[in-house]
Amino acid sequence: MIGPTVTRPWFWAFAAAAVTFAATVALTGSQGGVELLMATLTFASFSVLVGLGQMAVITMGPGNVDLSIPAVMTLAGTLSLKLMNGAAGMEIWGLLAALAIGVAAGAGNYALIFLLRIPPIIATLSASFVFQSLAIWSNRGLRIKPPDSLAGFSTGASLGLPNLAWIALVAAMAFWLLIERSAYGRRLSAIGQNLRAARLAGIPVEGVRAGTYVLSAAMAALAGFLLSCFSGGAALNMGAEYLLMSIAVVVIGGSSIAGGNSNVPGIWGAAMFMFLIVSMLNSYGLGAGVRLVLTGVIIIGIVTAASGRRLPG
Amino acid sequence: MTTTTRLMAATAVLALAAPAFADTSERRIALSNNYAGNSWRQAMLESWTKVTGQAVTDGVVAAADAFTTAENQATEQAAQIQNMILEGYDAIVLNAASPTALNGAVREACDAGIVVVSFDGIVTEPCAYRIAVDFKEMGRKQVEYLSGRMPEGGNLLEIRGLAGVFVDDEISAGIHAGVEQFPQFSIAGSVHGDWAQDVAQRAVAGILPSLPDDIVGVVTQGGDGYGAAQAFAAAGRTMPVIIMGNRQDELQWWKEQRDANGYETMSVSIAPGVSTLAFWVAQQVLDGQQVPQDLIVPFLEINQDGLDAALETTPAGGVANVEYTLDDAKAVIAKGGSAN
Repeated sequence: MIGPTVTRPWFWAFAAAAVTFAATVALTGSQGGVELLMATLTFASFSVLVGLGQMAVITMGPGNVDLSIPAVMTLAGTLSLKLMNGAAGMEIWGLLAALAIGVAAGAGNYALIFLLRIPPIIATLSASFVFQSLAIWSNRGLRIKPPDSLAGFSTGASLGLPNLAWIALVAAMAFWLLIERSAYGRRLSAIGQNLRAARLAGIPVEGVRAGTYVLSAAMAALAGFLLSCFSGGAALNMGAEYLLMSIAVVVIGGSSIAGGNSNVPGIWGAAMFMFLIVSMLNSYGLGAGVRLVLTGVIIIGIVTAASGRRLPG
Repeated sequence: MTTTTRLMAATAVLALAAPAFADTSERRIALSNNYAGNSWRQAMLESWTKVTGQAVTDGVVAAADAFTTAENQATEQAAQIQNMILEGYDAIVLNAASPTALNGAVREACDAGIVVVSFDGIVTEPCAYRIAVDFKEMGRKQVEYLSGRMPEGGNLLEIRGLAGVFVDDEISAGIHAGVEQFPQFSIAGSVHGDWAQDVAQRAVAGILPSLPDDIVGVVTQGGDGYGAAQAFAAAGRTMPVIIMGNRQDELQWWKEQRDANGYETMSVSIAPGVSTLAFWVAQQVLDGQQVPQDLIVPFLEINQDGLDAALETTPAGGVANVEYTLDDAKAVIAKGGSAN
């Protein structure tokens, strides 16, 4: 019964992750395999968190993308760590502050899109300059240490899995329920498939869009908060990698870049693959140039394979 | 004496008694900076504001304004330089987005009689002054230090910077030259950490499983040592000698390790205050001093004995820094283009 599985759009992301994992373990031996798996789960978690938010935005159809993710991560990480200032007992306030910043940033993004009628790609890009400048202005690039409890939690493990992976797993399940089982998810897909038809069908289009941009920014803020706790402080350039990463995991994970069709499990497969591909090519000692070329070629291959079933004829 | 003659006499006396830098007191210097998005650049700008602010107050120069481009793009910075020419600055101190792409704008500035001093991100245009970093030596020195610590040698992990950037190639070339000079060492693995702790941490965590257990040293480029340490600790591996890059979190971690188990290493980078050295060099050129076109920035090195002192003067979460004085600049100029 392999047939139905292969036709699932998320299959290729997991297959690619498994192949790269096996290729790396062939070099490291089984002992290194456990170590590699733990590292993969840990670092994939950040990509999963930002990828889920980006996926919801991209599902709304052409032109919808959130380019402010890196800046929101930096701003949320910087301000929440500044608020906690390394003190115990402030953890919950730090987390709430980070989420509040995410919600505010998402609302700001949507305000630009709705009130000023700016295309999302421009609105989120220009908003990200504001967020980044706020982060620079607020702390001048100084790294403040997270409280020990949070540093310990974000680098620790429970029940054999990294704590961060648990958080990303729960987030992925929540998104799956939201998108596959709730009215919000249906509306999101409907908007992505045909905006005009969705509007005529009486779907509160603007409400869904507002909620989705807020959701994406809140996920970015959560990822920024966890990343700065994990890596010992927020840095001004800490989100830079997660712009292309968030889009890549959506596309590789089998969601349609044209919108209207999202895929939650694929985000996990793609996030693990994106970490493993770098580890594999590093382990084989390939230079940066070869590595980037191979990464590009492999991504194109997976996306083609995943979308192959939709090709005509 | 009439009032007029008295005034004239006073003016004459003032002119005679004026300090040596009076020649530049009417001159205006601008800083053209391409990027501000990390702690090193922030410290660089703060040092500039502090030192040049004082210089303006003291009447050494009339103005020293700092401008940073938003996008880290050479085209944008070229436009910025053209604006500075139009605004009539006498000197432009430049941290360039590209070594070659700004040459046209720099040439225009020189043709307009403006002194251009580039530092950190230098430009190749011959009319500009260059305060360059000997990045190769910075890489080679690390292996030399390790050979002193471990004459028997061993496996090294190299953490590189941002792929495709000139600085990354230079430091890495220096490290490889060091390994050739001390062949008892070999580089067992190499990753790109993009000069960021979180990226370095991820890259090291990813390659560690495939590396042999006996990694004795980690050679770095700065801003990546703490992340590497975190990755080694998370994997439960023996902590190698990690060369640090003068960031406060790296120094703090080093101190904690030293206090706990006698951990020893060294730290080397360029002080962000190099912007103030460039400022004084520009001032000296405006003052009519003979200045060689190519100068070398001294490294800021922290060793085991200097760790506590360095930590005390480094702001929490910042970068170890020194601000240069006019005398420092004169010393660097006197040394000329000779390396170190």
